[in-house]
Amino acid sequence: MSVTNLLENWSQFRHKHPVGDQPHEEYKWAMSIDLDACTGCNACSVACYAENNLPVVGKEKYSHGFAHHWIRVERYWDADGRDFPDQGAQFLPMMCQQCEAAPCETVCPVGATNHTADGLNSQVYNRCIGSRYCEANCPYKVRYFNWYDYPTTDNVWPEPMNQQLNPDVTVRGKGVMEKCTFCVQRLTAAKSNARTEGRTVRDGEVQTACQQACPTNAISFGNLVDPEAMVGKQWMQQQVQLDKDKQAKDAEEAASKLRGYRILEELRAYPSVMYLERVRESAI
Amino acid sequence: MTKDIREDIAWAKINKDVLKSLEAPRKLYWVIIFIALAMIGVAVGCEIYQYQTGMGVSYKNNSHVWGLYIATFIFWIGMSHSGTLLSAILHLMHADWRKPIYRFAEAMTTFSLMTAGLFVLVHLGRVWMFYYALPYPSERWIWPNFQSPLLWDAMAIFTYLSSSVIFLYVGMIPDLAICRDNIHAGWRKKLYTLLALGWEGTDRQWRSFRITYLTVACFLIPLAVSVHSIVASDFAMSQQPGWHITSFPPYFVAGALYSGCAAIITLFIILRYVFKFEEYMTLPILKKTARLTFAISMVWTYLNLIEFASVWYGHDQASKDVLIYKATGHYAPFWWGMMFCGSIVPLTLAFKRFQTNIPVLFVVSILLNVGMWLERWMIVAPTFANGYYPWTWDHDQWPSFVQWGIVFGSFGWFALLFMVFCKVFPSVSMYEVKEMVYHRSQASKKNGLATKGAH
Amino acid sequence: MIDNFDRRDFLKVLGWGGAAVALSGCGNTSVEDGREIVTSYSEPAEYVIPSIGVYFNSTCAQCDAGCSIMGRVREGRVLKLEGNPDSSINRGKTCGLGQAGVQAHYNPDRIREPLLRSGDKGEAITWDKALELINSKLAGVKGEEVAFLTGGTSGHINVLLKNYLAALGSSNHYAYDAVSPSVVRAANKKAYGVEMPRLRLDKAKVVLSFGADFLGAWVSPVHFSQQYAQFRKGTRPEGRGVLVQVESKMTLTGANADRWLAIRPGTEGILALGLIHALGAAGMKIPGGIAQDYSLERVSKDTGISAEQITKLAALLKERTPSLVIAGSAAEGYAHGTQNAAAIALLNQVLGNVGKTVQFPAVVPFPQVLPTVGNRYALQALNDEMAQGKVKVLFNYGANPVYSAPAAMKLKENLGKVPFKVAFAHYMDETALQADLVLPLDSALEDWATSVPEYMAEEAQINIQQPLMEKLYPGTRGMGDILLALLKQRRADEYKGYEDFYSYLHSAVLQNKVALGGTGKDDDAFWTATLSKGLLKLPCDAGKISDKITPTAIALPAPFAADDAYPLQLIPAVSASLRDGRHANLPWLQESPDPLTTIVWDSWVEIHPKTAARLGIVEGDIVEVTAKNGSIKAQAYLFPGIHPDAVSVPLGNGHEAMGRYAKGVGVNVFNILDAVFDKGTGELAMHETRVKVSKTGKRVVIVKDEGSAGGQQMGRKIAARVTSDKVDLSGEV
Ligand SMILES: Nc1nc2c(c(=O)[nH]1)N[C@H]1C(S)=C(S)[C@@H](COP(=O)(O)OP(=O)(O)OC[C@H]3O[C@@H](n4cnc5c(=O)[nH]c(N)nc54)[C@H](O)[C@@H]3O)O[C@H]1N2
Ligand code: SF4
Ligand code: SF4
Ligand code: SF4
Ligand code: SF4
Ligand code: SF4
Repeated sequence: MSVTNLLENWSQFRHKHPVGDQPHEEYKWAMSIDLDACTGCNACSVACYAENNLPVVGKEKYSHGFAHHWIRVERYWDADGRDFPDQGAQFLPMMCQQCEAAPCETVCPVGATNHTADGLNSQVYNRCIGSRYCEANCPYKVRYFNWYDYPTTDNVWPEPMNQQLNPDVTVRGKGVMEKCTFCVQRLTAAKSNARTEGRTVRDGEVQTACQQACPTNAISFGNLVDPEAMVGKQWMQQQVQLDKDKQAKDAEEAASKLRGYRILEELRAYPSVMYLERVRESAI
Repeated sequence: MTKDIREDIAWAKINKDVLKSLEAPRKLYWVIIFIALAMIGVAVGCEIYQYQTGMGVSYKNNSHVWGLYIATFIFWIGMSHSGTLLSAILHLMHADWRKPIYRFAEAMTTFSLMTAGLFVLVHLGRVWMFYYALPYPSERWIWPNFQSPLLWDAMAIFTYLSSSVIFLYVGMIPDLAICRDNIHAGWRKKLYTLLALGWEGTDRQWRSFRITYLTVACFLIPLAVSVHSIVASDFAMSQQPGWHITSFPPYFVAGALYSGCAAIITLFIILRYVFKFEEYMTLPILKKTARLTFAISMVWTYLNLIEFASVWYGHDQASKDVLIYKATGHYAPFWWGMMFCGSIVPLTLAFKRFQTNIPVLFVVSILLNVGMWLERWMIVAPTFANGYYPWTWDHDQWPSFVQWGIVFGSFGWFALLFMVFCKVFPSVSMYEVKEMVYHRSQASKKNGLATKGAH
Repeated sequence: MIDNFDRRDFLKVLGWGGAAVALSGCGNTSVEDGREIVTSYSEPAEYVIPSIGVYFNSTCAQCDAGCSIMGRVREGRVLKLEGNPDSSINRGKTCGLGQAGVQAHYNPDRIREPLLRSGDKGEAITWDKALELINSKLAGVKGEEVAFLTGGTSGHINVLLKNYLAALGSSNHYAYDAVSPSVVRAANKKAYGVEMPRLRLDKAKVVLSFGADFLGAWVSPVHFSQQYAQFRKGTRPEGRGVLVQVESKMTLTGANADRWLAIRPGTEGILALGLIHALGAAGMKIPGGIAQDYSLERVSKDTGISAEQITKLAALLKERTPSLVIAGSAAEGYAHGTQNAAAIALLNQVLGNVGKTVQFPAVVPFPQVLPTVGNRYALQALNDEMAQGKVKVLFNYGANPVYSAPAAMKLKENLGKVPFKVAFAHYMDETALQADLVLPLDSALEDWATSVPEYMAEEAQINIQQPLMEKLYPGTRGMGDILLALLKQRRADEYKGYEDFYSYLHSAVLQNKVALGGTGKDDDAFWTATLSKGLLKLPCDAGKISDKITPTAIALPAPFAADDAYPLQLIPAVSASLRDGRHANLPWLQESPDPLTTIVWDSWVEIHPKTAARLGIVEGDIVEVTAKNGSIKAQAYLFPGIHPDAVSVPLGNGHEAMGRYAKGVGVNVFNILDAVFDKGTGELAMHETRVKVSKTGKRVVIVKDEGSAGGQQMGRKIAARVTSDKVDLSGEV
């Protein structure tokens, strides 16, 4: 065990974010969410509970802020002071943005949350000691801590509800942090199948659970490296670039007539989720 | 105003007076020990409950993930700077008035670090896995994340703690020999014999001792500064409004020295009474400490204003929002409380007559530390409650009795360690007081002669 | 082949009777000659690979929309439900309620064995005993003294149910649905000739919805959500569609509108006629006499919607055609609901939408399997019968009237007058608690059935529901099996060939292979293919919808005048997840925030901030909502999306029984509804209850997802919005 060793390992473990200097090779998973299509129905959120073994914490715990939805559908009102919100509400599904330069990763004392080669922010439950620094530094506050030992908490998964638990996903115990994984278990299975067949995953071959449920197809998901992927086409068309903290189109004089944007992009976390602005008819 | 240390105290009397503190303190000592134990009981009960049930019982939550543990952790780290300030910095500056009081200040350093360390553990969701954060070689070649300020914290605190223990110990060696030579046979005699490392007071020993002590002191100063800078980095290196502030490291260090000084005044007053140290812990020393505290309070106030100004005139709306929230939101009473305790209350120390008024100083010093504790809480909490992401703003979060209980108990734990230390080891440095008396007698002789000669 | 059995009767037994399509000869079946095996997915067959999830197709039974689903099964357990992409109803999608189907299956509070109840005690008995008990209780009871209360039913359950009642000599099938759009159905029938026309949101340039929450809880939400996504696409030839929602309480659909108009409760019809008037004023040709009296000023005054807004809306409707006007539950919920719905249908006709965006629906050509849709009138009728002591034996399946009937109906009391009550149930709900015999049902994921959705898209289809795994409890049974067993008590000969409901369905499908699209296919192959697809698509001729304008005399009352005793209108809101309360015991749904208030695990009273200010109410105040027939107490939520003259409380919670997740959560607003009925149909008018709201002095912190910023973005660009003139959607992918 030499110092060299330690440092060498280090550089591999904590590589630069793989954009620009080290482009993604096979996969870069990304999303785009069309807020004009999203109706705020919450199907995505329930689907995520079903897929990812999320605990239902109950009213008392919910009241203390222990809600455990990896994807939450936020509802905003206009702040224009009118009597009625007569242009409706604005819904926003918010989950881990799988930042390329994730603020959560650098601060974790034990390296339990990392960047994968596929451009995901991963979470190693086994390694996590529960310092919660990652969530403290996440701009979007989308990490969820196991404040209790939900598997042994009454009425979280009472017999036979536990039989529904997805065996491809760990049931997390108390004291570890977790968050949306982009349904990494599905990605792993798809990649493994593709590898067996000597190819890469085709667009549409793998869907995240929230995407699959979404009744309005508001969520697109796929591989930005794949030129055929819908999600990449959307990013391209909207002129949103992954490794920018300010998009060129936003600098244009008369606003660009495009509606792609990333939330809190200026914080330079390089999120992998692009949102498309909600549209409101100007004629009525 | 009572007198300063007399220049004609016999050395044997110094030994006798200090060694007495190892034997028979006032009854109040035992009352303090009992209260401390009771307080620890509360904290242990809370921790057992939290450990068994989960961190949830502390009532933090998913957007407000840190609470009083981290705030109190910073508080105790800050407290630890007292010892280093008095022992090392003032030692290098040849401020000899520090001599009667540096020993207990050093003990404070050690024990506050030990208390602070506990908060790191208490805070962890999986305390039983805390060692993952230590850089030990493992067969899987898994290292902690050297990028994380929290890891620097772990290492800095560990280094600071070990260095402080060494510093405390080294500085005690001549006194331990005195203890060895004066105490009746028993376990303590054996302990002192062992710890005194065969000290005889030879020239060579003194020479080596001086050099060692000076070296450790020099080492400790940058370490102390770095420790609180690193604790500041936990916040400054993050990307949260209200935290990523360039001036945080010096601000934290100033705050640390400030609370350390204030705590010295509190403990000075308590020790002086409990162990009947009136003769050594004199009012002129208290006066100097009070003045030092006043100076630091003004530095802290200045840094605070700098921070507000830079946020106010900066372009970061989110940070500005946090500042406004601190001043007007749910935490406003605590934030203004901090301003009052930290910047207004110390103004009393500017008045000569209060600089030696024990009841006033006692109250003021405690208020200063309440202020400094509030300062830490006001750094941690409002950013969570009013951060970047409005959907998760949480203005109603309030720590549960478990958090309060553990914070409360930590004072008991500190008091226990401290009081036990004072009963087992000489809390006034005998050899340095002797030096002091010696220097003074020499000086007054010289002065006397000079005066005479002038006539 | 069964001897002495008339072919027509045979078809009736199997549910294809009266079919309007050519039937093949009945040249098989394998029922006698080879026992078919229901594949047990927990005994590993060759296609079951441990650790690999396999998908089996079935049908979602969480609501009547009839979405097709695929269940992911691994090691014999069903883990996750996804939408089946082959169904034109949901095209691979599901709603949150559908997702929670697995929790209905694995629910810890399911009843696990037949219970004979006396007083508060239940004694477990065997199925044989239970069925025998029913038989004996029916002895000496006249046919007309037997009643069967159900929810909406369809498919072969419907067939067996009807046949069973026929065997008992009864015609008393009461199909009850507490939240069905039954008034709109009746109005549609009158206006277009069909109860549920096919609504083409995807073709409409403007959708004007009068309180139809088609994205939330109305008729077929997943289907409409898909259509809505099409409608919103800027790349569509018609361009991005514009949604205008008119309602007194904002629904999920209203929250998605380009323009949401808060209308005075009950004046929807007035606005519809006002729009016709305005269209006329704008130069559109309106058949003589229609809506003459509905001048802009009057309509604006009555509805509370500004003249400017009405004019703008009329201009939009005139300019962008085709549009689509939909009447929803908010419009139909009044004593003049039929009139409101008729006025709205008339607007559609005047705009020329009928035939374009209002089309003839796909129809399954077998009347026997068609859905018997539920309504509220049915319960009213049954209640009257019970009150008069005319019901001696009552069966209840898929309905929980003790929970959902207004207290004013005194239903529980009347139930007491029925000597023998059988409840087929999943949970010990409020109604099961009143039954003498409680028979536990299989979950939808372990049971066989066919079903026909009431609302079908471009294709007619019969949905197959099949077990996705072995039963969790040996003591439960499928409704089909139970009905078959009961039928065998009466008509042993006709049904002796069917060992169980599975073999019955098997015969039924193969019997009609040709009509079901299996011409020339091997029986087994056809059957396997059917199960594997999870649905049968049927050829069907598109009928023609009547597109002539039917200017029936529409009589709309003046808006309700202020009433000092009960100044506010109570709007019971149908939540997309809890619906009529049957899903209250599914924890995912309880913890899934209400989309608009983000409240979880409770009921609340939505009240406009202005009204609240007037009454001195702040968020979290426990308020008492008092109607003539009782009151409820719940937390107040200040909600901008509600008319100041109304308050709204969601339906679905407030259970006194049912299970650990439902019991004691929130309040039951069904209880306090006034017994006011729609004059056209006799349906309970859901929105006709008037209330007063008062503070109780208690206050709570509302448990919700929304944080302290109260749904504001605080100047940050989080959920961004752009007006249509500032964006170019045409190039989007
Ligand atoms: N009698 C007998 N002997 C056998 C075998 C047998 O069948 N019978 N099988 C043989 C075979 S095939 C194998 S693979 C070996 C297995 O032998 P071992 O490798 O010794 O296996 P375990 O005892 O399962 O696990 C070792 C330890 O790892 C800990 N552990 C679990 N997760 C983690 C983690 O994330 N980090 C760290 N640091 N520790 C963790 C566990 O608590 C446990 O203490 O045994 C061999 N020996
Ligand atoms: S969204 Fe938050 S949790 Fe996810 S990668 Fe970014 S910083 Fe980390
Ligand atoms: S909670 Fe876990 S993942 Fe997050 S920073 Fe702490 S140890 Fe790392
Ligand atoms: S991608 Fe998967 S894990 Fe993430 S929110 Fe969607 S369903 Fe949940
Ligand atoms: S399922 Fe789709 S439409 Fe519904 S809230 Fe989620 S993203 Fe929006
Ligand atoms: S709409 Fe009804 S049938 Fe369709 S998925 Fe949802 S609950 Fe199931």
